[in-house]
Amino acid sequence: MVIKHQWIFKTESPWSDANQKMLVLDTGGWRTERPVLDKSLCNYCGLCSLYCPPQCMRDKGDHYEVDLAFCKGCGICAHECPKKALTMKPEGEFTNEG
Amino acid sequence: MKAKKGKISVMMGNVVAANVARLCRPEVVACYPITPQSEVAETMSGFVADGSLDAEIVEVEGENSAMNVCLAASVAGARTFTATSSYGLVYMYDAIMQASGYRAPVVMINVNRETPGIHAVSSGQQDMIATRDAGWVQIIVENNQEIADQLIMCYRLAEDYDIQLPVMLNYDGYYLSYLNEEVEIPEQSDVDAFLAPLKNQPQRPRIIPGAATGCGTHGMEMGYVEARYKHWAAMDRAKKKVDEIDQQFADYFGRSYGGQIEEYRMNDAEIAILASGSAAGTAKTVVDTKREEGIKVGLVKQRLFRPFPEERLIAALKGKKAVGVIDRSVGFGWKYGPMCTELKAIAPSIGNVPILSYIDGLANLDITIPHIGRVVDEVNAAAKGNAYQAVTWIPME
Ligand code: SF4
Ligand code: SF4
Repeated sequence: MVIKHQWIFKTESPWSDANQKMLVLDTGGWRTERPVLDKSLCNYCGLCSLYCPPQCMRDKGDHYEVDLAFCKGCGICAHECPKKALTMKPEGEFTNEG
Repeated sequence: MKAKKGKISVMMGNVVAANVARLCRPEVVACYPITPQSEVAETMSGFVADGSLDAEIVEVEGENSAMNVCLAASVAGARTFTATSSYGLVYMYDAIMQASGYRAPVVMINVNRETPGIHAVSSGQQDMIATRDAGWVQIIVENNQEIADQLIMCYRLAEDYDIQLPVMLNYDGYYLSYLNEEVEIPEQSDVDAFLAPLKNQPQRPRIIPGAATGCGTHGMEMGYVEARYKHWAAMDRAKKKVDEIDQQFADYFGRSYGGQIEEYRMNDAEIAILASGSAAGTAKTVVDTKREEGIKVGLVKQRLFRPFPEERLIAALKGKKAVGVIDRSVGFGWKYGPMCTELKAIAPSIGNVPILSYIDGLANLDITIPHIGRVVDEVNAAAKGNAYQAVTWIPME
């Protein structure tokens, strides 16, 4: 068998940088709602980031920022946030932002 | 260099497994007890309690967690050990697929026992069969010494940089798990020496705290195809590796098991029996008596079940006039026993001779000398051109 495929993983197992190659599926396209943060309420506890299934929360030093390319809009972060600092807002409100 | 003579003791199969697992120095052990495996879990915990094993024992609430613990520890770079059986094995079904998909070199003892559906607390290989397509290497051994020796070889195989696959070592529940037999347990220094070549290999990938590495989380489209292709190719490489490691074990410890298969009196045999596990020991006795009666029969003991030892079986069976396969499990969906079905896949390469399927030894019913004697006689008759029954459930007749 002649392999024409360009190897994706350098290793035997599907290992790679979880922030890059593993997040190859653009789950952002699934989203109908997005979490919006009210920074004045956030105490930087990190629970939103821990619970986020695709692990798309970025640590910004005093709060967490959603990577919208991968946020699938499940709302778990908003549900888990003890400070109610995250609110899920319909994507329709952001259509002009692309 | 040769190994020193090990200490000879009389030990139960499960205790042998634990003693040798200890010598392989696993760093993380997570076992949930289940009959007929429990002494493996108990003895391992005892070793950690008395200080003779420096390992982390993770107390789990079930087998699914046990496998997930081993998987996680393995991708963190640890050597891991677990043991299970039957209900326990199927309870970790998703986790064993994770382990093989992540290419985590977990070594697991599976003490063969019948599976759920019929609550049989008794021996049988149905559990192993139920997990045959989970991507693990599966090896079956015949006696307590082979448990000891093969377990050491399993670590060499699983962690080999060219292989990186989880390995399941199977032995018959009840027949071996509770059998007290004379066993030579190697010296610690010799087990260390035999496993030492792994240290000279490149470091396999592992999770490093602080570095955001991940394994197996997503493999969409070509990522999936590539991971599966590499896994498939590694399974194929594992066959020769099993033979090589067996040869190296023989050179060092002086005991050999034939690698993928053991051939017993096969050289000049005209007909062959294929069996596995403790029943292969009985079959050797039958081969000897039948030889005295003038029947040129040999035995192929299948040791490697996954990957299927295609090339070795073809080489051993090519030109034989008929083959009888004794399965200790049922192949739902096929008429024949699982091992027989697989052997039939290579029938064109061995000469399209009669292949007779026998189901025996389910639920602790012994695969006796008369049973195997009958198999030999029928295979012999089939070789002479007589009509034969394609499948025989021996206990049902
Ligand atoms: S869970 Fe809520 S309070 Fe905690 S870091 Fe996230 S947004 Fe802030
Ligand atoms: S909505 Fe879901 S995917 Fe998006 S950031 Fe919150 S938890 Fe993560």
